[in-house]
Order: sequence, then structure tokens, then C-alpha cells
Amino acid sequence: MLAWQLLWRNWRSGELKLLAVALVLAVTVVSAIALFTDRLEGTLLEQSNSLLGADRLIKSNQPHQPAWEATAEAEGVAHTRVAHFASMVYAGDEMHLAAVKVVAENYPLRGYIDVSNTPFATDTSLIERAQGVPAAGEVWVDSRLLPLLNIELGDALQVGEQTLQASKVIISEPDASGPFSMMGARIILNWQDLAQTRVIQPGSRVEYQWLLAGDNADVASLMTWLEPRLSDHDEVMDIENAQRRLQGTLQTGRQFLVLAAIMGVLLAGVAIALAARQFAERHVNQVALLKSLGASSQRIRRLYCLQLLMLAGIASMIGLALGVSLQALIAQAVLSLYQIPMAAAGATPYILSLLSGPLALVGFALPSLWFLPGVPPIKVLRQELVLDKSAMGWQIGMASLVLVILVGVFGRDLLLGFTVLAALAVVGVLTAAMALALLTMGKKAGAQAGSRWRLALASIQRRRGASVLQVVVFATAIMLLLTLTIVRTSLIEEWQVKVPADAPNHFLINIAPSEVADFKQLLMDDNLRVEPLYPMVRGRLTHIDGEPKPDDTLDREASLTWTDQLADDNEIVAGKWWNEWSGADGELPGVSVEQEVAQRLGIELGSRLTFSIGGLIAEAQVASFRTLEWESLRPNFYFIFEPGALSDYSPMYMTSVYLPSEKKRFINTLLTRYPTIVVLELDRIINQIRDIVAQVSDGVGMVLVMVLLGGCLVLIAAVTGSIEARKQEAGLLRALGAPRRLLVGSIWIEFALLGFCAGLIAVLAAEALLLGLQVFVFEIPVQPHYIYWLLTPVLSAFFVSSLGALSCRQSVTTPPATVLREAL
Amino acid sequence: MATMIQAKALGKTVTTTSGDLTILTDINLTVAKGESLAITGASGSGKSTLLGLLAGLDVPSTGSVALAGIDLNTLDEEGRAKVRADHVGFVFQSFQLLPGLTALENVMLPLELRGDRNVREQAAQYLNRVGLGERLSHYPPQLSGGEQQRVAIARAFACKPDILFADEPTGNLDSTTGHTINDLLFELNAEMGTTLVLITHEDRLANRCARQVQLAAGELMICGSAAVQ
Ligand SMILES: Nc1ncnc2c1ncn2[C@@H]1O[C@H](COP(=O)(O)OP(=O)(O)OP(=O)(O)O)[C@@H](O)[C@H]1O
Ligand SMILES: [Mg+2]
Repeated sequence: MLAWQLLWRNWRSGELKLLAVALVLAVTVVSAIALFTDRLEGTLLEQSNSLLGADRLIKSNQPHQPAWEATAEAEGVAHTRVAHFASMVYAGDEMHLAAVKVVAENYPLRGYIDVSNTPFATDTSLIERAQGVPAAGEVWVDSRLLPLLNIELGDALQVGEQTLQASKVIISEPDASGPFSMMGARIILNWQDLAQTRVIQPGSRVEYQWLLAGDNADVASLMTWLEPRLSDHDEVMDIENAQRRLQGTLQTGRQFLVLAAIMGVLLAGVAIALAARQFAERHVNQVALLKSLGASSQRIRRLYCLQLLMLAGIASMIGLALGVSLQALIAQAVLSLYQIPMAAAGATPYILSLLSGPLALVGFALPSLWFLPGVPPIKVLRQELVLDKSAMGWQIGMASLVLVILVGVFGRDLLLGFTVLAALAVVGVLTAAMALALLTMGKKAGAQAGSRWRLALASIQRRRGASVLQVVVFATAIMLLLTLTIVRTSLIEEWQVKVPADAPNHFLINIAPSEVADFKQLLMDDNLRVEPLYPMVRGRLTHIDGEPKPDDTLDREASLTWTDQLADDNEIVAGKWWNEWSGADGELPGVSVEQEVAQRLGIELGSRLTFSIGGLIAEAQVASFRTLEWESLRPNFYFIFEPGALSDYSPMYMTSVYLPSEKKRFINTLLTRYPTIVVLELDRIINQIRDIVAQVSDGVGMVLVMVLLGGCLVLIAAVTGSIEARKQEAGLLRALGAPRRLLVGSIWIEFALLGFCAGLIAVLAAEALLLGLQVFVFEIPVQPHYIYWLLTPVLSAFFVSSLGALSCRQSVTTPPATVLREAL
Repeated sequence: MATMIQAKALGKTVTTTSGDLTILTDINLTVAKGESLAITGASGSGKSTLLGLLAGLDVPSTGSVALAGIDLNTLDEEGRAKVRADHVGFVFQSFQLLPGLTALENVMLPLELRGDRNVREQAAQYLNRVGLGERLSHYPPQLSGGEQQRVAIARAFACKPDILFADEPTGNLDSTTGHTINDLLFELNAEMGTTLVLITHEDRLANRCARQVQLAAGELMICGSAAVQ
């Protein structure tokens, strides 16, 4: 086929490479988000059907009232109960902090538990739908728990004081991302075994759920009856708010991806448009020649369309393949973050991705190519003939339309598409203005500079449009990259740095009051430093000075404690500590509140706070505000009461301890003696968090690499576009006796300047963006990142100048004679 | 003898920023089949413009052109393309080879456009004929000017055109190379009985044609011996 032949020849002569790479990039980015979005939506759908394992659930820190069951049954509503908590499970010398789910008969009321006898099974033939729940004496476990405890199915493991047999592995379950699921591997056991484990003591941290399912009307009427009987500790969850919660977190991630994808597609689009324009320019003569050889406009249009279609087809397939792997990386990150299996993508995103190549070509390339078939044949005789090419407005219009379609259809978010496009336009204009100002400033400065600088600056001025475009594109790409890097490092590492080497690395919680003295002795026997033990009760702040507290802050239960000794890293910033304080009316006990939460809740010194603790009401008067260091990894509390203020509320004790690695075995001794104590291995948790963050930012980083790649493509495209003119200038200058060194030097300077400007603008923009993020999202103190102020412009200058010089080398290495002859 | 080209009252006026510019006025010209015609004239006298009109690359402002008995005025651009494909070949001053294609592929191109079979063999045969049998896979930039023009000549003759238009085929070559190229052109022309319309400013070359006409200020002056109409 002739079109195929022509395509192959054009490819061989290198004219299509840039266009092809840019197309592949566009398709990669688009297919990655299309696939990911589709999977995400599939997952949400799958999850929502069994999100709760019920139609409605009441969650609380205490079991539901047995009396309610009769009403539920009278209304014809099925019910069952579930308890969630974290507990150490161990087998032999190995142990793990597991996310325990205790279920009663009939669980789940909606959805299924899928189990298998083969750990990590993915093959559907190995997976069965569980009939009922684990039998008493048995436990179903996450596959990953088996290697962690070094056991196999059928072996015993210990939960609290009860030994249970691991009989099946869990493949999927409703509410997999429920409470405590971030803590560790899931185990499911039968309610009948709960008592013997003796894990739950008064004051233990447990989430009880009462699951309900039935006809809408029945459930609704039960809820109407139930509503006034619920306490402050009870919360009703329905599928919608459960789904919203899950969606909320996933949405943010998705929007970031779509955002990055828009950048990627936009940059790829600019590169495609530039490449297409060069392609068109080179092909004017070819078209005129083909016409003189008797090819009609129709024929030529067909030939070129076919070529481009084939090119787009191939690029789409390659791009799709890359997009599939990119998307898998991102999905992997989501998986590790939310612990939910992602649904497979449907056929639609694959088809759409394959269409995105041709679509990108139509939007970004076609406007530049449209005039080609209309080139008059007389052009072969009259080279100087100036052609009337398509209008710029049309190009921008088509490109925007396709961009909106791509983002809207593929990212399923038309509004975001428009918003981003508008925002980008604003950023683009601002950046362009800044770039223009910088370049003009450079021009003035250059007038006094050496000849190398003068040449470089003259060259920038001559190609002002292209120069500004390059600066804008690079600045945006670098800005995004910089923002991600800084956010990532500052979130983990700034936290890490503050942890001293001998800081406590284990939290011990759930220590019963009767065990405290003995426990201290055990520590001392082992020569371990005894940190203060804090009594702890879980309570919910309900009123401030008799008014219901604002809704949006501290909606969960908080840990309440009392002590007479202020920890080293706590500091009183207002009010007085107990030794100097005496309550205004002497009746209410005092409470010291963490400063930030006090501010957010509008608490003042002397305010009267009302807490609900396990259904009982406790009141206290605010005596002081404290600052504390969350990063210190010591037990920290929003509310510290006067000693003894809460002793009626059956506290459990907690403390932290530093165990050097050679003393890790102490945990075994401890847990053998007190099976109900829960050990949080902070070192492991920190590592786990770091792993997750690393994986997520890897996924996002991949997308940003794509964005940067787009930036490079645009630079290369812009440079190759100017290469002919550069050759002419260089040839002329060399013919006039300019040494090659001067020309090479001026090229380096030219691109270094562009890179420097881009880097500078990028740092400014990134800091502004970070300021916004830090103030509104992460709530960490704002601090300028001076090292990046220095590094970014310098590195950017180096990078861009290398890339520019590399793309331009042809223009100075071609002998002047050749250049001048070609010019004739 | 049958008439191959017939131009009647041909005129060309173009609109420029500084008003209308008449390039050609009232040109009448007949070229018989197999005849060779040289068009001479000063630079800017309108030679290339005339050639473009005769070959159907451009449309006249007044008058008409008939090629191989077909009146071009009755055709649209698509129709004229068809006539070019069927009857016309070109050799240009600036060779007009596609730089990304090898010598062989350049010659193959018009044959491929026509949908011929054995395109490769035919093209190779013509390149052999112009003495470039060893350089089939070379790209134009790797060939000298003379060699490039030979490729262009091979390309022009490979389609066995009825009429060959040549616009200063040796204008970009030194005189020795020019001679060889001209020899080749006339040889092939004689071999294949092609009608030749040649633009040149060299009297020696013009004299090799059966007939010469001269353009001056957009008008035709006859200087050859053969009668015009
Ligand atoms: N489309 C056009 N628009 C404006 N001017 C034109 C156009 N076509 C031809 N001319 C002008 O008409 C005149 C004749 O051009 P033409 O190329 O035919 O001359 P020529 O005899 O081939 O000259 P040369 O020997 O230099 O090739 C020139 O002055 C040219 O600039
Ligand atoms: Mg001319």
C-alpha cells in the first residue's frame, strides 16, 4: 500500500519521530487515567454493595442494647453484631498486631466473605464463597499473616488468652477498609471465642457495630424508633455516607492524577502541534511535487490521512501498553494505601484509549496540516510562493476542544477539565508575562555583555515566541515536580529527623490497673527505662460551656488521661499547671487542653467542658493550654485532667518504652505474662507508612515523569523547528570568521538563560502552591525551601542547556560552505 | 503531425500589493507531437510562468491551453492532475528530489502513484540508463548536483510521458556537467519520441531544439526557422 510505503519512508527520514513520541505520550497518559478511573469506579461500585456488610449500622464504643433486638425483629429487620479492635496475635516466637473482626452468626447481612484454602489465591477455582462465619475455635486470616507468624493453614495461633486454629485465608470481605485495618493483617473470629480471649477489658479501644438489613421501609421505621435512644457515642452509618467517606479520599488522589494527566496531555499536545507544523513545512515541496506528478488534492489528502491514521494507530497501541503498566503502578499504590482490591477495568477505557491517539492527532496536528493538500502545484516552479496557512485561532480552538473531550470523557470530570484549562490559561499568561519581563531585562543587561552573551540574547529575542513558550512549559513541569518532591519529603522526613535515637519505639497499651505495679517491676528487672504510665479512658467531648461543641472538629472519641507530672516536651503556654492552679469555684476538676485543638474548638481558659465517657457525664474546667510535640512519639493527649479526676471510669494504662533491637524478646516475656496488652511497634508502623507514601508518590511520580517528558518534547520540537534558521545564521557567522567556540558558547548561554528563567519561575510558583497546600491541606508550618531556590534554577539551566545544545549541535557542526550552498 | 500542445491567446495577470501585474499577454503557440521547443528570454520575462500554464500547473487569466487534445480550461484541478499523470513529465532547475527518499525511491514515486507493477525493476532500469545503477540506495544529499539531476531525468522518463517540460535543467550545474546532462536529456528524448519543451537561457542549448521562441516583456517572438501557425 502506497500510504504505508510513504509512512515508512517518512519515518525513516526521521520526520515523524517527534510526532510519534508525542502521540505515544499523550495516549499513555490518557489511557492510564482512563483505565485507572474506570477501575476506581468499578471498585467503588463493588465496594458499595458490601461496603458495610449491611444496609445500616450503628457503631459505638459499647455494645448495642440487647433490648433493641426485639424491636428489630418485630420490624422484620435482620441484625447481627461485629466488634473491631487491634490485638497482638502470636504463634511461637512470632507476633503481629492484627486488625481483629469478631463476627456473629449471619454476618455479613449484605455481601460475602470469600475464602480459600490456598494463601494468596487469585485463581477463581481456588476461591469459595464462605457459608456462614468461622466456627468457634477457628479463625480466618489474611494470607499475609501466615508468613508473618511463620505458620501454615491448620496451625494454631493465639489471640489474647485463647488459642485458635487458622482454618482459611480471607480473599475478600465486606468493610475491608474498616476500623483498625491500617494496623495490620485482618483476622476474623467467632463471637463465641471473644470472651475467652479476654482482650476486651473496660477501657479497651473497641468499635462495636450493630448491623441491620431489611426492606427500606422496615429499616427506616426501626431507625425512627432508634434515633432518640442513641447516645453521643453511637453513630449511624448507611451505605451512602460510607461510600462518601471512601470516595472522598480516593477522589482527591484521582483529581491529582487527572490534573497531572491534563498537564501531560497538554504538553504532549503542544509538542504534537509543533511537530506537525514542522512536518507540514517540510512537506510543502513534497506535496507540490506529488501534484506535478499528477496526484490530485483528493488523493493527497487521502494519502496523508491514511499515513497519519496508521501512525496514530501504532502510537495508540504502544501508548496503551505503556498506559496499562503505568496504571498498574498507580493501582498498586492505591491498593497498599486503602487495602482494597481494585476491580478490573472494563472494555470501554481500552477502546477509548485506542481512539485517543487519532483524536489527539485531529485536535493538535490536523489544524497545522490542513492546508497541505491545497498547496498549488505551481509551487514546484515558484519556490518563493508564500502559502496561506490555517489560522491560529482555529488551532487553539480545536486543541482546547480535544483537550476538554479527552479530560472530560477519559477522566470523567468535565468540570475539572474546564477549571484546569482555565487555571492553566491564567498560569500560562502570568508565566509568559514573567518570562517576557525576564527576557527583556536580559536584553538590556546583554547589551553591555560580551559577544557570546550578545549573540545568545539576540537569538532569544529573535525567537521570542518560541522562547517564552519554552520557559512557560518548563516552568510548569518543574513546578509540579518540585511541589511533589517537597511535599513528599517534608511530610516524612521532617518528622523522622526529630525522633531521637533512643526515643521510645514501642507503645504498650491496654495495661489493666491491677497489672501496673507488676508491669513496672518487670521493666526494671530487665533494666529498661520506665517512662510514665498514663491512665487512659476514652471519651467524647460533647459540650463547651453548656453549648454543643462545633461539629467539624474532634468528632471521634479522644483519649483522656490525668497526671501530675508534665512531660518534658509539653509546655504550658497559658493558664497554670496543677501545682499553681486552683479552680474558680473549686468544684470542677481542672483539665489542660492542647493549644491548637482549643483554638479550633473555641475553648477559653476557664471554659467548662462536658465529656461523655462510656455513657456517663464528666465535667471539667479548663486550667491551661499546652503545646506538645506530636513528632516525639511519646504518648500525647489533647486533654490532661487533674490527678484522680477520672479514676471512677475504669482506666486502662499506657506507656511507651525504648527497646533496643537486642531486647525485642522482652515483648514475648511481657505478652506471655499479660496476653491482653497491645504492643504497637512504632518502628514497624513508621516503616510501613513510609513504604506506603513511597509507593503512592512513585505512582504519582511516574505521571510527573511523563509530564517532564512532555516538557522535553516541547523543547526539542521548538528547537528542531528553528534549526534551519539557526544553520543559516551560524553558517553566515562562520563564513564571516566567527570561531566555532563562540557559536557553541552562545547556544549554551541561550538555553541556560531560558532554563534559568524557567527554574526561577518554577520555584516561585511552587512556593506559592506549597503555601496554599500547607495552609489549607497539610497544616504544617510554612517554611521557605532555600536549597531549592538555589538548586532549581541552576539545575534547570544546566538541564535545558544540555538538551538545547544537543538538539542544536547540527546547526554549528554543518560546514558553512554546505549551509551557504543549500541557501542558494 | 498531431498537435501535442496548443495555446491560444494565453495571458496571465496576477494581483499584487502594488496593483495588477501582467506577466504574459496573447501567447499563441502550437507544439507538434515529438517536436522539441526551446523557450528563451531574459530573467523575469515570464518563461516559468508560461511553462506552468502549458503544463497545467497553473490556470491562465485569459486564453486556453490544450494538452494532447484536451482543453485544460474545461477541467478542474483534479482533472488537470489526471492529465499531468497521463501525459506530462518534469525536470526542474532545482531537481526537486525528495531528500528523505533514496534515488531509487524517488524514481519509483510517480510509478507508484500510477499504481504500476514491477515499480522497483522499472525504476532501477531507468537509473541504470542514466548511469546511476550503482547508486540506487543513495540519498539525494549524498549525490552531486549532476547526479541528482540524472535521478530527476530518470524519474521524468520512467513514466514514459508524452510531453516533457524542463525548466532550466542545467541552471544549477557547471557547464561540463550541464553538457552531459543535456546530452542525456536529448538522447532519451529522441529514444522515446517525447515532445520536449525546454526553458533555457543558453543559446547553444536552445539551438539543439528543433524550434526556438523568445519571450520578451510577456510577449512571444519567434526566432526559429519553423513557422508558427
Ligand atoms: N503569482 C505571482 N505573483 C506575483 N508576481 C509573479 C507571480 N508569478 C510571477 N510573477 C512575476 O512575474 C515575472 C515573471 O516570472 P517568471 O518566474 O515566469 O520569470 P522567468 O522568465 O522564469 O525568470 P527566471 O529566468 O529568473 O526564472 C517575475 O517578475 C515574477 O516576479
Ligand atoms: Mg524561471
